[in-house]
Amino acid sequence: MIPENSEELDILAGEYVLGVLDPAVARVVEAALAVNPELRRAVILWEERLQPLSALAPPVGPPPAIWNNIAARIGETGGARPRLWHSLALWRLSAAFAAACAACLALYIFLARPAPGPSLVAILHAPRQERPAWVATAGRNGLSVQALAGAAAPRGRSFELWAIAPGAKKAVSLGVIPANGRLQIAAFPQALRQGGKLAISVEPEGGSPTGRATGPIVFVGSLVATK
Amino acid sequence: MAKAARNNPEPIDGAAPACALQDLIDAVARGDRGALRRLYERESRRLYGIALRIVRRPEIAAEVLQDAFLQIWQKAASYAPERGDPAAWLTGIVRYRGIDAVRKLGRELPSADPEQGEAVAPDTFGESDASLARGALRRCLDELDDNQRRCILLAFVDGLTHAEIAARLSAPLGSVKSWVRRGLVSLRRCLDG
Repeated sequence: MIPENSEELDILAGEYVLGVLDPAVARVVEAALAVNPELRRAVILWEERLQPLSALAPPVGPPPAIWNNIAARIGETGGARPRLWHSLALWRLSAAFAAACAACLALYIFLARPAPGPSLVAILHAPRQERPAWVATAGRNGLSVQALAGAAAPRGRSFELWAIAPGAKKAVSLGVIPANGRLQIAAFPQALRQGGKLAISVEPEGGSPTGRATGPIVFVGSLVATK
Repeated sequence: MAKAARNNPEPIDGAAPACALQDLIDAVARGDRGALRRLYERESRRLYGIALRIVRRPEIAAEVLQDAFLQIWQKAASYAPERGDPAAWLTGIVRYRGIDAVRKLGRELPSADPEQGEAVAPDTFGESDASLARGALRRCLDELDDNQRRCILLAFVDGLTHAEIAARLSAPLGSVKSWVRRGLVSLRRCLDG
């Protein structure tokens, strides 16, 4: 599995880029790249750091038939345009869908609890996924976060909630989320009055020992005003 | 950009503006077959050289290069500038395919066959390659101990696994793994520090 410790994750990324990993481990890393932005960043950085070494392999003219084969193949497959269109459209659609979800949920929460309704709501989801995993509401009564379905921290680990104020570089801990998946904070952080983001990271049991997120961010969501 | 590519069918070394490569990849992403052709003209010698160094057999290197360009054609749309250096992206596509190919086929350990070129000259860099000779990576590699540097080069340039490096250096597997790790940690500290 992909280490949560950033130092170990970075070494694994370097080993992957060097190409020394067993094929089975390399496959696991490849699969994780699609869903783990921290790993993806680490791999890109190693590719860039080591790129000058590729000049040690002397350039050699390839056999002329190769280009003909490539040309024949791209002629037949009809080109990249549909794929680009497809992926962009999907991306836009899913973004629109997520925004619509957020708006609906915000409206629902707003209507369901008219007085003193929350003034901000966030739906947290895993990076690059649109399925809502947590919902957070914030207002005069403080901040509450609740797991929507089966979001459990790995054994021996805790979820920790972080606030990232608009424009802020650093996340501020809002506390460790109890095993029941509900966290209630009486005082709503001043910094989040204008929105911002909430994020949940995986930390050692009992929370980050350093006051900063040490494990991967597994869920994230933006706070949206409800009125 | 197109003009430059036509005038320079040979691959252009580190001095080439990265933006031109980026422009070509952007055009490929829009489904421009001519752009893929120009990218091929510009980069195929460099990339074929990388593939050949790893797989050592011209017929396999040819397959690797062909598959790599088909992959570039398909994946250019998902490439974004924040993905990093475009040359490194292209190198990665070829290297990972080359490494997969040799792992799948199983490889005889590269011999000291002069025709193939000795797989490793771990302590010598191509002095002709000015960009590496001058660069921070060269300086940082020089700071590694010999074993760590050999491991990094044998892995990246020749595509050897831990076990193949161990056989090549007549060293225990555990030592090789630890040299690779420590080499990576030191390189990162030196390059980013």
